[in-house]
Amino acid sequence: MSQIDFYASKGTLLIYLALTFLPFVPQTTAANANRFTDDHENFLAVKGRVTSGKDQQPLQGVSVTVKGTNTGTSTDADGNYGFNNIESNATLIFSSVGFATMEVPVRSRTIINIELQVEAGTLIETVITAIAIRRDKRSLGYSAPVIRSDELLTGRNTSSLNALQGKVAGVNITSTASAPNSSSRIVLRGGSSITGNNQALIVIDGIPTDNSDFLGGSDVRSTQTSGRVDPRSTVNFGNRGNDINPEDIESITVLKGPTAAALYGSRASNGAVVITTKSGRKGQKTEVTVSSTVTFSNVLKVPDFQNDYGQGYAIGLDSAGNNEYYLDPIENWSWGPPLTGEVQDWGQEINGVRRQKAFEAQKNNIKRFFELGKMINNTVSFAGSGEKTTFYLSLSSLNSDGIMPYDKDNYNRYNVRFNGTAQLSNKFTAGIGLNYSRINSNLVQGGQGSGSVYDNLLQTARDIPIHLMDDLDNPYNGYGFLNERGEPVYGFYGAYTVSPYFLLKNYKNENDVDRITGNFSITYKPLEWLDIVERIGADVYADRRRFKYPKFTYYPADEVTGNYARFNVQSEVGQYRENNFNVSEIVHDLMVTAKADLTSDIAASLMVGHNLRQRTVSVSDASTNESFGLIVPGWYNLDNSNGPAYNFNEFSRRRLTGLYSQLTLSFRQTLFLDLTARNDWSSTLPNDNRSFFYPSASASFAFSELMKKGTISDVLSHGKLRASVAQVGNDANPYLLNTYFARPEIDGGFGTTTFPFNGVPGITRSGRIGNPDLKPEITTAWEVGTELNLWNNRMYVDFSYYRNRSKDQILTIPISEGSGFTSMVINGGIVENKGIELSVRGTPIRTSEGFSLELYGTYTRNRNKVVDLELEGVTQVSLGGLADLAVVAAEGKPYGTFYGVDILHDDQGRVIVDDASGIPLETPGAVYFGSYNPDYMASWGANVRYKGWGFNILFDTKHGGQFVSRTKDIIDFNGTAWETAEHGRNPYVFPNSVYTDQDNKLVTNTDITFLPQDYFSNLPYGRNVIDASYVKLREVSLSYRIPKSKLKNSPFGDITVGIFGNNLVLWTPDANKYADPEINSAGATNLQGFDFTAQPSQRNFGFNVSVSF
Amino acid sequence: MTTLNIKNKCILVVAVAAIAFAGCKKYLDVNDNPNLASSASVELLLPAVQAALGHDLGNPLQIYGGIWSQYWTQSPTSSQYRSIDQYSVTTTAFDRTWRMIYSDALQDIQEILNLTQGKAASNQYTAIALILKAYAFQLATDAFGDVPLTEATKPGVTNPTYTPQQQIYDSIVAWVNTAISLIDVDAEVTPATDDLIAHGDMEQWLRFANTFKLRVLLRLSEVTPQKAAAGIQTLNNAEFLTKDAQIAYSAVGGNQNPLFSEMLELGRTQNLVASETSTKFMTQNRDPRADIFYTRFVSAARGIDSIIGIPQGSFRSNLRTFSLPSTVTGANARNDLSANAPVKFMSAAESYFLQAEAVARGWLTTGQPALTLFREGIRASFKSYNVSGVETYITNSPAAQWPSGTQQQIRAIIIQKWLAMNGNQGFEAWSEWRRTGYPDFFTVSRASALGDDRMPARILYPSSEVTQNLNFPGIKLIYEPVWWDVKD
Repeated sequence: MSQIDFYASKGTLLIYLALTFLPFVPQTTAANANRFTDDHENFLAVKGRVTSGKDQQPLQGVSVTVKGTNTGTSTDADGNYGFNNIESNATLIFSSVGFATMEVPVRSRTIINIELQVEAGTLIETVITAIAIRRDKRSLGYSAPVIRSDELLTGRNTSSLNALQGKVAGVNITSTASAPNSSSRIVLRGGSSITGNNQALIVIDGIPTDNSDFLGGSDVRSTQTSGRVDPRSTVNFGNRGNDINPEDIESITVLKGPTAAALYGSRASNGAVVITTKSGRKGQKTEVTVSSTVTFSNVLKVPDFQNDYGQGYAIGLDSAGNNEYYLDPIENWSWGPPLTGEVQDWGQEINGVRRQKAFEAQKNNIKRFFELGKMINNTVSFAGSGEKTTFYLSLSSLNSDGIMPYDKDNYNRYNVRFNGTAQLSNKFTAGIGLNYSRINSNLVQGGQGSGSVYDNLLQTARDIPIHLMDDLDNPYNGYGFLNERGEPVYGFYGAYTVSPYFLLKNYKNENDVDRITGNFSITYKPLEWLDIVERIGADVYADRRRFKYPKFTYYPADEVTGNYARFNVQSEVGQYRENNFNVSEIVHDLMVTAKADLTSDIAASLMVGHNLRQRTVSVSDASTNESFGLIVPGWYNLDNSNGPAYNFNEFSRRRLTGLYSQLTLSFRQTLFLDLTARNDWSSTLPNDNRSFFYPSASASFAFSELMKKGTISDVLSHGKLRASVAQVGNDANPYLLNTYFARPEIDGGFGTTTFPFNGVPGITRSGRIGNPDLKPEITTAWEVGTELNLWNNRMYVDFSYYRNRSKDQILTIPISEGSGFTSMVINGGIVENKGIELSVRGTPIRTSEGFSLELYGTYTRNRNKVVDLELEGVTQVSLGGLADLAVVAAEGKPYGTFYGVDILHDDQGRVIVDDASGIPLETPGAVYFGSYNPDYMASWGANVRYKGWGFNILFDTKHGGQFVSRTKDIIDFNGTAWETAEHGRNPYVFPNSVYTDQDNKLVTNTDITFLPQDYFSNLPYGRNVIDASYVKLREVSLSYRIPKSKLKNSPFGDITVGIFGNNLVLWTPDANKYADPEINSAGATNLQGFDFTAQPSQRNFGFNVSVSF
Repeated sequence: MTTLNIKNKCILVVAVAAIAFAGCKKYLDVNDNPNLASSASVELLLPAVQAALGHDLGNPLQIYGGIWSQYWTQSPTSSQYRSIDQYSVTTTAFDRTWRMIYSDALQDIQEILNLTQGKAASNQYTAIALILKAYAFQLATDAFGDVPLTEATKPGVTNPTYTPQQQIYDSIVAWVNTAISLIDVDAEVTPATDDLIAHGDMEQWLRFANTFKLRVLLRLSEVTPQKAAAGIQTLNNAEFLTKDAQIAYSAVGGNQNPLFSEMLELGRTQNLVASETSTKFMTQNRDPRADIFYTRFVSAARGIDSIIGIPQGSFRSNLRTFSLPSTVTGANARNDLSANAPVKFMSAAESYFLQAEAVARGWLTTGQPALTLFREGIRASFKSYNVSGVETYITNSPAAQWPSGTQQQIRAIIIQKWLAMNGNQGFEAWSEWRRTGYPDFFTVSRASALGDDRMPARILYPSSEVTQNLNFPGIKLIYEPVWWDVKD
């Protein structure tokens, strides 16, 4: 090393810094640091071996550094390390992600063997923070829990985001259906953006990656132009955050608050989930790992049904005032006669014969429709190193056939990942991480569309054995047989529903995705105290969807009984539709970091960086003519459009450039201070407002360092206090500044008038009012917390209290259409989230025989409030939802409160009924229900280990919060829901009801009866808002690792076998007899709490084997 | 490494940063929207307005009007419109009805008025826009009652207050008067093909304006008869419509009759079937239009070949014998000819019947007696669908006879108007029933969930207003009459 012109070079650097912006760079006064030239007398060669305290396996890649110097190395595949020449009184620091860092004084020893302890959540581990900076956890002034690979994989969840559920406090994950294609939504510390994105930023190896959820099958045009999501007819193709193979993940750090994530800039105002993928380690011999998992799935929850009344409906009252019923064999309604068990004809008459069955309840006909889902997940990985290179290569496949009958719901995911580093010279290191994902799937439509399997299934009367009708070649079940006149006919009993088996076979929702994510970095380290990193990341994918809906016209086969009329035709015009989403996101970061020990007690590090980001999204939606569909059945191509094809395309590009800096100061490894600052310039804001600056500060005080000598250190191994405050700015989506004109499209709900109209072109005001004065939105947050390690790391406590306030939110709000517009873009809205997070982990039992019991739990309580909308005269905005059940942000209420019409109650809680019909009156306007935010979330888990055995169990709960269930609505309508028969089917007096008499007084209702069929088939939508609380047995696993001793003479390095389950058992309150409250028709989008006949969630269980060579 | 090298490196860093900043401004100027247009012109806006009103009139309002005017009823073999026949609709049902009037039509009308303001050369566009504005507001207020008017389509107002119906009617008349004063049948600049209704024929628009004004004023006949009479006097000897003002639809996907396009999306399900109220009356009066508005039910085996309706709201009975609406109304789901059914904004028949009523009341002078106008109305109705036998019908049919006494004459006129509007002007027929109580032989739907023989008297405010407009005045019950509906 040459003599450094320390001050001169630092001066040059500081000029650069001053040029940038940092107002609070402390004056660097004369610092010492002549330690490089200090003379010491005793130098030693030290070597040793590092093993894991968990299983005594050698640990590779453990960083071993000499305290107070920059000398360091890492362990090889056998856990060995060595130094040639270090001071005899030096201290070695052993650190590795996921293990407790150890400091070991050399004390003139030459061989030092170390066993690193796995202590999840210990205070002194290394964590990966923003922009892939590795930090000692003790130095962080904010909460940043880490989940390691093995913890992530316990439940063998195919989604790495779902696998976090219950494991980290403050994280709200909605896993929807828990199928491999299901979207997962991850929100940290509550939603803060009223209409924007609320999900955490997902960062893989330092590169922010796309986590879009383009909802399948919803109206692309309106979703793209208004940002609003229509949950009514959707196919869940999943969101992009789930593309990554969980087996490739080494660790996930959750940066919960804006402070932690401030350096990522605007997109991290909701926190960040920082994923670090596996890499090869220096000195490691090549290791091959093969892991196979077989998973089976079945339905977790279907509604409770009534089992007393069959097909048909009431047609009037007899002289005694009881219902007279008509058993209409074409009906989906189950409002018919009481079930007698009598064997009788049903369905259509074909060739003079009707089928017979007992008129009795088919108690499990819905549940038995589903089959056992199967999935095989294989990963092969190679990790190793050369002299100056490391690599990790993994290949994985996931093939699944879901819980729907036949093999029509498929999801296949293939991943190839390569991570490599090369030391190019002493000063340069290059790194590359590349992942290619390929997904192809055919999934099933939910909601109320004509192809919705679950919707048609639910509309099955209680006596119909629908689960026995899968043989479509049987003329009584199928479609397309010819009658005497040569016309195609259907033999299926129902005229208003289509056989779900027919839908599964004929409606296709195909998806394929090709995605490449990559990061490329060059590190240049010209000096010991200076390094420069240039990193470029890209996330590019094409997501292609093809919707193929058949064209057909079938007449009822039965022309004899008169039950079926020729009008009961089953007919569709057919459709071919293509949705293409091309997303490209390119990120560049240039970071210069200087480190210095300013005095013997104070160390400093200063980083400045430059960030560029560009996101391009190109969307196209093309379909055959939306009215007349296809010409030739079965030919799915736009050329087969019967009339002009429908086209929509949109291109958007946004750019952002930012400068950022971080200054870290530490005092005696006890007191730490981080200051960050960032300025962004965004393309999406008006010129005058496009630049915005935001700082953060955080401090950590490792107070236990001061108590090392006292008796308290027997109890308190480590302890720290932390505090932070931060601001994060956020820009808008592109093109929100102006009001535009669009091609007219007059949407009647069913049927649309489009332009050109018979050759005449037209134009119309687009519904959204733009805002040329848009400002960036700003989130301000602070948090305080503590982390304690007690009883020699046997117990760990992490507690935070936080408060986030977002203001000047950029909102596109629906407005009264009396204004002539449908929505407008505004800055407004202060939303506050405050809450506490508590994580506790303890090992009450650990015996010398290797038995250990670890218990852990989390508790999260977030209070969300819309403080002020800052809109004159406006106290509420609608966030979307359905027109008759909106989700709103109303001042003083939690974000995401449901708002709609309910039945009318008086001030004593009695129901006010109509004085003629006896049916409850509706509220004259919309009323508030709860919000979808839970009151609290909690989890409880245990890990038991004994020698090679491991057992894990995890429960989690969300308590409070509401969801809207169309599943309930449709089975109420259909007369199959449990409550439709609770008081029988004859007219009765609505319980606890009153009516208004002639004197305009409310009198107790004892005599005005209502017909349940009229009431339940037409409920106000507010009746479908139900309690979303649940407790779930989230994960159970049992694994066995074959002891090394038994593998000695085999080629295997390691064999682990296990059984597991996830999403296993669900407990819901009495009010919810309908659905898993986690399912959400709008996937991971901002529209939450909507079960719009979403497909039921599934229970997953199976076994896995992992072998390494 | 030497000091020099380090300095070079540092200079390089600064240089890279400097370049990055220099390019910054341009780099960020990428916020021009390539997906939407920034400007519009009147000839592009006008057809969008007309098509929006056409869709509203031809789809939701035709369905509600058609069922509540008892031309049609829900088929027992399907279920889509059961709630309409049950009178138990909810606010959600009307979101699109409202949107088509306000966001699709009125906003673009406002854009036309903004673009033509102060431009005398564009007066004909201004006039048409004002007429359409008046037309749209009458639809809105007849449907919903009090609606936003003074604060509607007003920049900066996102929670418009509601204007009482009485004032809305005053405004409608004022706009029509202004439009009439602006119309110049010899104007050089007129719309052409962009005017889907009259193709720029300003004389037709003048007739439309006069006829529409007569319709609007007559709507007030029961609530403020003197005001109605005074207003109608200004129309003495004016020119009224003699041919249908309508939009023609075609078989092109997206340009079909709006009712039929709904049926296509519903899988060609035939939800609408003939109501006995209409078929019975037509059969009793040997009305040859029955075969135009309905298809025959034919069953050789059962020896049936006739027009058969089922009782209003009898969908829960097991009836399988009924006629369907024909393609001329766009309501026959199985026959693609339905795509071509026009949507009538006002018809020639309506024009004559309005004149006949105004003359019968003694409020209007046209130079022709009421009886002549009454018969011209019947003739116009037949002519519109090329039905023969009109003179036989006028001579023989009890419903075509001219009674004595003003009230009976009005009854005859309104019933004839109802007959003419079968399946093509359903909403207007229903409004006239609400105003006059004619036809007086409507039956309460068998499926009514209202009880007490109540019948719908308005359509409900949309749920979008309930949940998105802070100045929303409150949901009304479906049987609460609107302001002008005062006759029992």
